[in-house]
Amino acid sequence: MSSQTPMPPDRTTPPRMPRWVKVFGIILFLLAIVVIAMHLTGNNLGGHIPHMP
Amino acid sequence: MTSSIRKFVRTAHITFTVGWLGAVVGFLALAITGLTSQDAPTVRAAYIAMELITRFVLVPLSFIPLLLTGPLLSLGTPWGLFRHYWILAKLVINLLSTLILLLHLQPIGYLAYIAADGTLSSTDIRLQVQMVVAASAALLALLLATGLAVYKPRGMTPYGWRKQYEEHSAPPSADAST
Repeated sequence: MSSQTPMPPDRTTPPRMPRWVKVFGIILFLLAIVVIAMHLTGNNLGGHIPHMP
Repeated sequence: MTSSIRKFVRTAHITFTVGWLGAVVGFLALAITGLTSQDAPTVRAAYIAMELITRFVLVPLSFIPLLLTGPLLSLGTPWGLFRHYWILAKLVINLLSTLILLLHLQPIGYLAYIAADGTLSSTDIRLQVQMVVAASAALLALLLATGLAVYKPRGMTPYGWRKQYEEHSAPPSADAST
């Protein structure tokens, strides 16, 4: 596990966003694009499900 | 939050999240069995069991850490809910995993219904494959969330950075949150 929470380097500027957060955000964005594309092309989650009696 | 309450909430949080992970593995095993087995009673049992696991295990185990133990643990300790990127990332992963699970309730119910009815056919293959893909994705997401909780990668949000200077307090201990 990591040690204590690091203090920011100075008081005037907030710390930079870490690289792993940017990668995480890009992956999330790409996943959202895929889901939206699937939705627009009619391949919704679950596809076409007939009504159950 | 006192130390004993924090330990209790942390124990509950770990128990529920690990249980959620285990339930997803079980769901994946049933989804693969339903897709690949040639034995009709086995396929039927797999999809009926999938629906039961979803309703009585997966849904409760996903909601409790997301809505109760996770926020309690974050807000009740100096870690906060929006101060560190790894906690935010875990929150997003859990939110999306629960949302996708809820979106799959109807397809899972449909598969269980047609399996019990004996009308499962080759036209349902797409739905059967989707169950395997969704369970695999959920497993990866939960493993990622577990990794984030253990490694706690560095990175403070602008909000967390501002609050830390405002409070002028000591930084939190390393194991205050999971």
